[in-house]
Amino acid sequence: MNWTQLVGAVVVMMGSVILQGCVAPEPRQELFAPTDAQMKIRSAQTRTFEVKEQTVAMRGVIAALQDLGFIIERANEPLGLVTAARFAEPNYYDVLGVTVTVRPQQDGKTMIRANAIYNSKPIEDPKVYQNFFAAVERSLFLVKD
Amino acid sequence: MQRLPAAVLLLMGLLVLPQGCVQQTQPAELFQLTPESSANRAMQTRFFDTENDQELLSASAAALQDLGFQVEESVREVGLLRAAKERSAREYGQYRNRFFIWLLSLGHVVIPIDLHQKIAASLVTRPLNEAHSRQEVRIVFYRAVWKGDGQADRNYIPPGEQKMEMIRDPEIYQQFFAKLSKAVFLEPHSI
Repeated sequence: MNWTQLVGAVVVMMGSVILQGCVAPEPRQELFAPTDAQMKIRSAQTRTFEVKEQTVAMRGVIAALQDLGFIIERANEPLGLVTAARFAEPNYYDVLGVTVTVRPQQDGKTMIRANAIYNSKPIEDPKVYQNFFAAVERSLFLVKD
Repeated sequence: MQRLPAAVLLLMGLLVLPQGCVQQTQPAELFQLTPESSANRAMQTRFFDTENDQELLSASAAALQDLGFQVEESVREVGLLRAAKERSAREYGQYRNRFFIWLLSLGHVVIPIDLHQKIAASLVTRPLNEAHSRQEVRIVFYRAVWKGDGQADRNYIPPGEQKMEMIRDPEIYQQFFAKLSKAVFLEPHSI
């Protein structure tokens, strides 16, 4: 490599560094401000069931998750918290995680909220939550019988 | 890379291809019951005629201990136990395959072999009727395997690549439930 080539290379490198500096920064997301989309997702993630006891609802959620092939990783009864995960079978590289909170309501019903993530990215597809709550409903109904 | 024999390329291609063909499953499908769900449930579940859920849970922990597991998490109120054990994952067959591939590739390819594994279990007990006279125990086993190092021509494959899988061998589940029923002095009922 001779001197002209070297100088040329340095100029190109400097140029690319400077150019990057000139790119306008992307508009900053308002990370803590609620948006319409978030409200929609929250309603998809939440459902109320005609169950009085929190423990019964929690056990129903756990059984539903097990039926769906999830591994129950953590549970906290006083807080009504269940954390579970499963592999995106047939592939074992992608992991699907879900956190469910079960909270008793004033009117003798129980509110269940689920947050699912796919490889640590939040799932916003309402169909996912519909399927999950269908499984919970089935398992709660089976327990009642 | 200049004198890489065609055989090695073909071999590497064959090794890569099946991995590339693994299907992507949509998250919505993963929240649905599949035809295998009920078979898995039957394999992973047994019923016991007992009112004492606490006794059943502690017997489950004892059965897992008998199988060499360490209990990592327990929640009595919802009947949850999580346990794990770490073992060697070395198998004679893999060493043999590695040798033949090394031989066929004229010393260019050394495939990584399984070295170490962590076998984990998640167990839940649950009353099945209002009177709590019948309890269900459901357990699921899975494992993570760590591979050793290898070589593909001049590219070194570092050790530590991880592979995970659900354990679906009915014998493992039968073995566990046999231990559990001995521990609780009860006959297990399958679905």
